[in-house]
Amino acid sequence: MTVGLLSAVVFTPLVGALVIGFAPARWARILALVTSLIAWVISLWVAVGFSAGVQGFQLVEKLDWIPIFGIQYKLGIDGLSLALIVLTTTLSWISILASFAPIQTRIKEYMISFLILEVGMLGVFLALDTFLFYIFWEVVLVPMYLIIGIWGGANRIYATIKFVLYTLVGSLLMLVAILATAFAYQGAHGGAWAGAFDFEALKAYAGTTGFADGLQLLGFAAFFLAFAIKVPMFPFHTWLPDAHVEAPTAGSVILAGVLLKLGGYGFIRFSLSLYPDASHTYAPLIIVLSLIAIIYGAIVAMVQPDLKKLVAYSSVSHMGFVTLGIFVFQEQAMDGAILQMVNHGLITGALFLLVGVIYERTHDRTIAKMGGLAALTPVYAATLGFFVFASAGLPGLSGFIGEFLTLIGSFVANPWVAAVAAVVMILGAVYLLWMFQRVVLGEPSAFLLGLKHHLSDMTATEILTLAPLGALVVVFGLFPGILLNLVSGPAKVALAAVGQGTAITVDPIWVAAGLGFVVAVIAWRLLALRPRRPTDDGGSAVQTVEGAA
Amino acid sequence: MTLHQMLVFLIIALPLTGFLVTALVGRRLGLNAFWIPVAPVVGSWLVAMYVIATFHDVLPAGTDGIAVTLWQWIPAGTFTVDFGLFVDNLTAVLLVVVTTVGMLVHVYSIGYMRHDPGYWRFFVYLNLFMVSMLLLVLADSWLVLFLAWELVGLSSYLLIGFWYRKRTAAEASKKAFITNRVGDVGFALGIMAIWVNTGTLNIRDSIELLVGPASMGATGSLAFAGGIPVWVIALLLFAGAVGKSAQFPLHVWLPDAMEGPTPVSALIHAATMVNAGVYLVARANPIFASAPEAMAFVAAIGIFTAILAASIALTQTDIKRVLAYSTLSQLGYMFAALGVGAFTAAIFHLMAQGFTKGLLFLASGSVIHAVHDEQDMRKMGGLRKKLPHTYRTMLIGAIAMSGIPPLAAFFSKDEILGESFKLGFQWVWAIGILVAVMTAFYMFRLIGLTFWGKSRVDPAVEPKIHESPRTMTVPLWLLAIPSVLLGIALTWPGPPLGPLFGMEGEGLLGGYLKPIFEHGQEILGRREEAFQLAGIDGMLLAISIAVALAGMLAAWRLFGVEIGPIRGASRPALVASLTKRVPFLYRASANNWWFDDINNLVFVVVGGRIANALAWFDRNVVDGVVNGIGALTRRSGGGLARVQTGRVQNYALGIALGLIAMAGSYFVILGR
Repeated sequence: MTVGLLSAVVFTPLVGALVIGFAPARWARILALVTSLIAWVISLWVAVGFSAGVQGFQLVEKLDWIPIFGIQYKLGIDGLSLALIVLTTTLSWISILASFAPIQTRIKEYMISFLILEVGMLGVFLALDTFLFYIFWEVVLVPMYLIIGIWGGANRIYATIKFVLYTLVGSLLMLVAILATAFAYQGAHGGAWAGAFDFEALKAYAGTTGFADGLQLLGFAAFFLAFAIKVPMFPFHTWLPDAHVEAPTAGSVILAGVLLKLGGYGFIRFSLSLYPDASHTYAPLIIVLSLIAIIYGAIVAMVQPDLKKLVAYSSVSHMGFVTLGIFVFQEQAMDGAILQMVNHGLITGALFLLVGVIYERTHDRTIAKMGGLAALTPVYAATLGFFVFASAGLPGLSGFIGEFLTLIGSFVANPWVAAVAAVVMILGAVYLLWMFQRVVLGEPSAFLLGLKHHLSDMTATEILTLAPLGALVVVFGLFPGILLNLVSGPAKVALAAVGQGTAITVDPIWVAAGLGFVVAVIAWRLLALRPRRPTDDGGSAVQTVEGAA
Repeated sequence: MTLHQMLVFLIIALPLTGFLVTALVGRRLGLNAFWIPVAPVVGSWLVAMYVIATFHDVLPAGTDGIAVTLWQWIPAGTFTVDFGLFVDNLTAVLLVVVTTVGMLVHVYSIGYMRHDPGYWRFFVYLNLFMVSMLLLVLADSWLVLFLAWELVGLSSYLLIGFWYRKRTAAEASKKAFITNRVGDVGFALGIMAIWVNTGTLNIRDSIELLVGPASMGATGSLAFAGGIPVWVIALLLFAGAVGKSAQFPLHVWLPDAMEGPTPVSALIHAATMVNAGVYLVARANPIFASAPEAMAFVAAIGIFTAILAASIALTQTDIKRVLAYSTLSQLGYMFAALGVGAFTAAIFHLMAQGFTKGLLFLASGSVIHAVHDEQDMRKMGGLRKKLPHTYRTMLIGAIAMSGIPPLAAFFSKDEILGESFKLGFQWVWAIGILVAVMTAFYMFRLIGLTFWGKSRVDPAVEPKIHESPRTMTVPLWLLAIPSVLLGIALTWPGPPLGPLFGMEGEGLLGGYLKPIFEHGQEILGRREEAFQLAGIDGMLLAISIAVALAGMLAAWRLFGVEIGPIRGASRPALVASLTKRVPFLYRASANNWWFDDINNLVFVVVGGRIANALAWFDRNVVDGVVNGIGALTRRSGGGLARVQTGRVQNYALGIALGLIAMAGSYFVILGR
C-alpha cells in the first residue's frame, strides 16, 4: 500500500528534521514549529476519522521489511494509541514553542533532535511489530540523551549517562525477550517465521495456545524491567529526578508528558496480551510496588528543596496510579490508568512549563528563595495555582477522573489497596500547597525583589503554551467521556486478553515485613542522626518544619 | 427540560456566570466590580425562592423532588455518573439559608471590602463559593456532591488566604484545605463502598438499594456483592462530615480560618459550608439509621465537640475566635441531634444557627471595621453608643444564641436537648445543658467586653470610630429578623402558619421535612414526639431557660451589663482571682487544650523527620545501589579495558555474540 495516514504522522517530523538540516539556522525554530503543527493536524485528522466503536486496529499499514524473519513494517491504531499520539503531537508543538526563548545555542541541532524524538515516540505508540516497536523504543533514547547532555544544566553529563544506561539495561533485556518470544512462536509453528514479530499474531497465539510458563515468566520479567524503568516504578525511579533537574524545560515536559507513558503503554499493549499468566503471577508484586510509589513518591516530594525535583517525585506518585490501575485487572481501574496517563501528561507537562517560566527569569529553582509571586506576577501565580489544584486531584479537573476511577477499580479488587492509595489525597495536597505557599504566597522574597524588572509576568508565548493544556484539563475534567469512549474498547480488549482479576489477597506477613522495614529505616534515621543543618541538597529539614501542615 | 428544571439549573448558572465574567474582566472594573458578581446572586435568591414556593405544584406523582440531569459526567463501563441536580424539601431548606445569607453577605461585602485592592478578586472567590455551595446542596449524585464538597474547600482555601501576603493567612488556608482532605479520604472511600454495594452513585437510588425495601438485606444488594457493611459506609461518610463541619478531631482548622475577611467567616465558616457535614448526614439518614452504633458514635463526637469548643470559647480574647468556637460548639449540638435520631431538630438548629451566627459575624465585622481592624476585645469596650445598629443587632444575636425565648436558637437548641433526653440519651442532654450555660456566658462576655463599660480603644483610633455604611447595617437588620422570628414561625403548631401549610399540630418544619426523615426514623424505630408543655417537656424547657439565665447572669457579674435599667460594672479583679483558682483549666481553655501544639509535634516535627528520613533513604539507599552498580562496573571495566580496541567491528561482534548468548540461554532454560 502507499503511504498511509499513520506513516504520515510518524514521519512528518523526520521530513521536517531533514529540511531543517539543510535550511539556514535562523529558520530552524519556525520550521520545527510548523512541522510539529503539521504532525498535530494530521493526528487530529486521524482522530476525526477514527471510529471508536470498532474493535481491533484501524488504518493498519503493512510492508514486509525483513521477510526472512517475518519482520514487518506494521502500524495500526486503536483508541489507546490514538489518545497517546494526540497527546504526543500536542505536547511536541507546545514544547517546541516553549523552547524558542530558552534555547539559544545550537538551535538547529536542538530542533532536529526534538523532531526525531517525536518520530520515536509516535512510532512506539503505533508499531504493531515487536521488532519495529523495539527500534522506535531505542530511537527515543538518542535524542533525549542529546537534549539533556547538550542543552541541560550543570550536572547534565552525570544525569544523561545515568538516564541512558539505566533505560538501556531495561530495553536490551526487552530485545532479548522479543527475540525469545519470536523463537518460541516460530518453533511452535513448524519453523515458519511468518508472524513471529507480528503483534496481532503473537497475541492470538498467546490467547489460544499460550506461551510456555517459563518463557512467560522470563519474558514478562524482561519487559517489566524495561517498562518499569520507563514509568518509573519504585525502586527504579532514581534516574528521573536527576534527569528532570538537568533537562531543559521542554525536555522535562516531553519526559514527563510522553516518555513515562511509553512504559504504561507497553504494559497494557504487550505485557498483558503476550504473557497473561505471568501477568497474574506478578500482579501482587506490582500492586505493592505501585502503592509504595504512590505514597513514597508523595512523602519524598514533600521535602524536596528544588521545584523540579518536587514535580519529578510527584510524577513517581502519580504514575503509581497507572501501574496500579493496570494490574488490578478491573475495567474502571484500567480506564482510570489510561486516563491518568493522558491527564498526567497534560498537568505535569504544564507544571514543568511553569517551573521553566520562573527559571527563565531567576535562573534558580530553589523553593526557599521564592515567595510572594502573587504580588509580583499575578497571572503566573493564578496559572500555577490552577495546575497545582489540578495535580492535587481537584474534582472537575481532569486529574481527578483518572485517580478516582483507578481507586474505585482497586476498591473492587481489595478495599485496603484503595484505602492506602487514597491517602495520597492528603499527601498530594500537603506537598503541592506547601510548594504553592512558599513560592506564590507571602511577602515577596528579597531574592525575587532583587531581580527587579527581570521578573516580568508571563509573556504571550508562554501563555500560548499553557492555555491549551489548561483548556484540556477543564474539558477532560467535565467531559471525560471524550477520552473514555476512545479507551474503553482497548481497555476491555486488554482485560479480555489477561482475564478479569479476582480479588487480590496480600499475605499479611509481607505487609508486616514491608512496614517493619520502613519503620526500621525511619527509626534508624531518627535515632542515629541529629537533624543536619541545611545544605544545598539535604537542607530540607527546616523547610519541612515550617512548611508541612 | 420543564420550566422548573430550567430554573433549578439557573440557580447555579447565575453565580457561575458572575464568577466567569468577573474573573475575566473584573480587574478593569475597579470599584465598580461589585455589580457583575452581586446581581446574579440576588437573581439566584429570587429564582430559588420561586422554585421553593412552587415546586410542589409541579411534582410528578410519586416523587418528592425535581430532578435535572445535565449530562452524563463519567461513562466508564458499568460505572456511570450523571451530572444531576435535585430539589426536595431538605434541599429547599438549605437553599433558603445558603441563598439568603449568601446574598446578604455579598451586599455587605460591597461596603466592607471597598478599601481593599483585591476588591474584584474577592467577589470572584465569593461567587465561586456560591456556585460550589449551591451545587453541594443540589447534587443528585454522591460524586457530584463530592465535586462540590471539594470545590467549597477550594473556595474556602482561596478566601481564608485572601490576604495572601500575611503568613498566618497563608498557613491557615493551607491548614483548612489539608485538614478537610483528611476527612475527604474517608468520604471518597465511602462513595466507593456505596458503588461497590449498589452499583449506582445516585443518592436516592443508592440509599434505597442499601437499606430500603428494594434490597434483600441491610448490607447489600443483588447485583453487586460488594459486602461492605452499612456501618462502615456510615462512618466513612461521617469522616467527610467531621472534616467539613470541623468536629473533633478535625476541628483545628476552623478557628484559624478566621484569618479570612469577616464576610467570609460569616458566610462560609458560620452559616453555610460548615453545615455541609450536617446536611450530608441528614441526607444519608437511612444509612445512618441502619447502623445504630455509628449513630451513637456521631452523637458522642458531636456532644464532645460541643463542650470542648464551648470550654475554649470562654477565655478567647479575639472576637472572631469566640464566635468561631461558638460555631464549633453549635455544630456539635447538631451532630448530637443527628446521632440521637432527632434529624429535624438538627436541621432546625442548622437554620437558626446559620442566620444568627451569620448575623453575629457580620456584626463583629462591623465592629472590627469601626476600630480599624482591631480584633482583640481587650482593646474594645464602650462601643454601645458609637455603633448603635451594630450593637442592637449583635445583642439580638447574643440573646438568641444564649437560648432565651422566644428567639430562634432557643427553640432549636431546646428541641435538641429535649429530644436527646426523651430518646434515651440522657448523657447527651446532661453535657448539652453544661454547654448551654457556657454558651450564654461567653456570648455575654463578648457583648460586655465589646460594647459595655469603659472604652479601651487605642486613643488614636477612638475619635474616628463611626457606624458602618448602610450596605453593612441593612444586612444586619435583615438577618436579625429570622434570628428572632424563625423559631416561632417554624415550630408554632397552631394558627396561622400550621393550617396555612396544611401541617397543623406538628410545626411547620417538622411537617415539611417529614418525607425526608420518615425512612430513617422508621428504620430506627424512634420518632420525634410532639411537644407537650405540661409534661416532661415543660420541665426540660424550664431547666434550659434557667441555665441560660444563669450563664448570662454570671457573665454580667464578671464583665458588666448595660441593658436599659439593668446596670452593673465589670469586676476584673474577680475575673483574675477566678482564673487563678483553676489555673490548669484556665490555661487549657486559653491554649485550645493544646491541640495545635500536639498537631504541630505529631505532623510537622515527627512527620517532617519521617519525610526527611525517606528522602535520605531514596538518595542513599535506592539511588546508592544504582550508583554502586555503576561504580562497580567502572572498576571492573578497568580490568577489561584491553577489550576496548576502538574498532567498531569488534564491538559489533561483541554485541552479536552477547545477544546470541542471551537468546541461547533462554533455550537452555526453557529446554527446547
